[in-house]
Amino acid sequence: MSAKSSASPPVKDAAKRQRRSILVIIGLLLLFALVFRLRPAPGDLLPAEARVVETAKPHVCVHTLLENEVEEKKILRSLELVRELGATTIVQFFPWAYVEREDDQFDWWHADRILRHVEGQGLRVIARLGLAPNWLNEDPGATLNTLPETAFPKFAQYAAAFAERYAGTVDEIIIWNEPNLSFEWGYQPVDAGRYVRLLQETYPAIKAANPAAVVLAGALAPTLEGRGSSAGLNDLDFLRDMYAAGAGDYFDALAIHSYGLKEPPSAEPAENRLNIRLAELLREIMLENGDEQKQASITEGGWNDHPRWAHALRPSQRSAFTVEAFEYVEAHWAWLERLCLWAFRYPADLNSYPDNYTLVSANFVLKPIYYALQDYARGWEREEVLWLPPPETK
Amino acid sequence: MIKHAGFQLSSKVVAVAIAVLLAAVWRHYQPPNRDIAFPAGEIRIGVDGSYPPFAFDEAGSLTGLDIELGEAIAAEIGLPVRFVNLSFYGLYDALKTGAVDLLIAALRVDQARTAHVRYTEAYFDDGLVLVSASDNQSISAEALSNTAIAYEYASRADSQIGLWEGDGQEIARRPYELSTYALDALRLGQAEAALVDATTLRLYVRERREWQHQHQFVSREPYAIAVRIDRDEVFKLVDRALSTLKESGEIARIVTKWF
Repeated sequence: MSAKSSASPPVKDAAKRQRRSILVIIGLLLLFALVFRLRPAPGDLLPAEARVVETAKPHVCVHTLLENEVEEKKILRSLELVRELGATTIVQFFPWAYVEREDDQFDWWHADRILRHVEGQGLRVIARLGLAPNWLNEDPGATLNTLPETAFPKFAQYAAAFAERYAGTVDEIIIWNEPNLSFEWGYQPVDAGRYVRLLQETYPAIKAANPAAVVLAGALAPTLEGRGSSAGLNDLDFLRDMYAAGAGDYFDALAIHSYGLKEPPSAEPAENRLNIRLAELLREIMLENGDEQKQASITEGGWNDHPRWAHALRPSQRSAFTVEAFEYVEAHWAWLERLCLWAFRYPADLNSYPDNYTLVSANFVLKPIYYALQDYARGWEREEVLWLPPPETK
Repeated sequence: MIKHAGFQLSSKVVAVAIAVLLAAVWRHYQPPNRDIAFPAGEIRIGVDGSYPPFAFDEAGSLTGLDIELGEAIAAEIGLPVRFVNLSFYGLYDALKTGAVDLLIAALRVDQARTAHVRYTEAYFDDGLVLVSASDNQSISAEALSNTAIAYEYASRADSQIGLWEGDGQEIARRPYELSTYALDALRLGQAEAALVDATTLRLYVRERREWQHQHQFVSREPYAIAVRIDRDEVFKLVDRALSTLKESGEIARIVTKWF
C-alpha cells in the first residue's frame, strides 16, 4: 500500500469537504425551491387578469358552498365552472362561526381567499350570513343555529365588519337563513318578531359600514306548516308577520327560496302548494305592504333528480323544468333580479338525496343540468348526446 | 403487609382497589338502564319521511324499512316509539338538541361526524354493485378492460368507472339516463355488466324475480343508526337491540319485506 493512497494532503481534503458542503447546500436549496414551487403561495392560482363571464342571461345565478372547501384549487375550479356555465352571480355562505371563532377575534383568511377567486373569475356575489359561534352558547344542546336575542348585537357587529371589509366586492347581504323553520333557530319555536328584531339590529349596522350595501331579508323556507307547528311556519304567513312587526324599514330586497319539487315551472301558485311560482304570492305580500319598489331574488331554488326521493324528477325533466323556469322568470318577473339554483357543488358528498340538487358532483363530474343551463345561458345549441336511448324492453 | 418491588401496600388499599375494579367490571356488564336512557318513557326517533323505501308517507302515516326497524328496536327495548319526521338537513341538529333520541334515516356512517355522533353497526349496505348475467364467469371488478358496462350518467357509478379508468382499465362505457335503464341493458344483452347502487338493484329484482343475475359489491355504503355521543345508555340499549334483532333474523326479514 503506497503512502500516497493512504493519506491525501490535508489541504486537498479540506477543499474536497468544502466542495461537498457547497453541493449539499445547493441541493438543499433546489429541494426547498421545488417544494415551495409545488405549494403555491396564496394568490398564485389567480388569473393574471380578472376573467369575464360570457352570458346571454344575467339572471342566472347559483348557490355555491365554498365555506367548507379546504383546497384552494377546488375553490378555483368550482368558480371557473360557474363562470363557464354563464352564471353572473353566486350566493355564498360566510358563517359567522368560522370567522369569529373567539369573541372579537376575526379571522377573514378563508373568506378573503374565496372572494379573491370570485373576483378573479369576474363573478358577483350575494353573501349569506349566519351560524352562531360556539362561544355564544354554553348549552351542549345548542347548535350553530342557536342565536339568543342577547347575541343580536354581536351578530350585527359581525355583519358590519363583513360589510365594511368587502364593500365594493360584496354589496348584497342576506341576513340569516330560513328563519321560519325551528331548525334554523336551533330547534327553538319560530317567531317573526324575533327575526325582525335581528333585522332592526343588523340593518343599520350594515348600512353604516357600507351605505351601498343591499340588505336582503327573508330567505324563508317554502313550507306548508301552519300556526302552532313545532317545525315552523309557512313562508307566506311568516312574511305577513314580518311586515306586521315592522320589517319594512329594515331590508332593501327580499330573498326568496322557491323549489319546484314535482311541479313544472308553469304550475299555478296557491297557498296550499309548493312550487316555483310560490314566489309570486310572496311578491303579492310585498305589494300589499307598499314594497313595490323593492326587488327580489330567488337565492335558493330548483329541482332534484334523485332516483328515489319522493319529490324528485328524472334528470332530463329536471333540466327541462330548470331552463323553463329561467325562461319564465325572464318573460314574466321583472321584479326578480336573479334565480340562484341550489346548489352548485358540495365539497363532499352527503350520500343522500340532497346530492342530487347539485350541478356538479363533489369530484367535479358535470351533471346533465349543468350542460342544459349552460346552453341556455350562453345561447348554445349542443348536439352532443349525454346518454344512450333507453333499451327496448318490449 | 404485602411487599413487592420495594413498595409496601396495605391489604386495605389492595382490597379497595379490587373492589373498585370489580365494581367497574360489574357496572360494565350491567344492562343499560332504560329509565336513564329514555326518561320520557318513550323512544323518539328522527326519520326522513320522504325517502322510500326507507321512510315515506302512505295514506297519512309513515311506513318503510326505517320505520319498521325503529318499531322493532323499540319493542325489543320495551318502550313505545314516537317518530319525528324531519328534513335531511335537520336530522343531526335534532339529535344534538335532544329533540330526538336517535336517528334512523338511511344515514350512511359519516366519519366526519364521529366526534359528536356514535353509529351502531350497519343494518343495510347501499354500496355499488357490479351486476352481470349469472352465466358470465369472466366479470370481475379487478379485470374490466374492454367490458361494456352500463351505468347512470353522472352518478356514483360514473365516478367509480372513472377511477377504474384511472387505474388503466379501458371500460366500454354505456351511459344511460337512469340506473334502471342500465339494468335493462344488461338484462337484454346490450351490456356485459351494469354498475348500480344496491338499493336500485334490490328494487329492480323485486319486480323481476325470474331474472338470473349475479352481483358483487365494489364499494360499501353502510347505513347505521346514529346516537349522540354522550348518550351512552341510549347507544348501549339500541346497539344491543339491533344485535339481538340481527341474530334472530328479524333485520333480514324487514329488509326482505321492503325489497
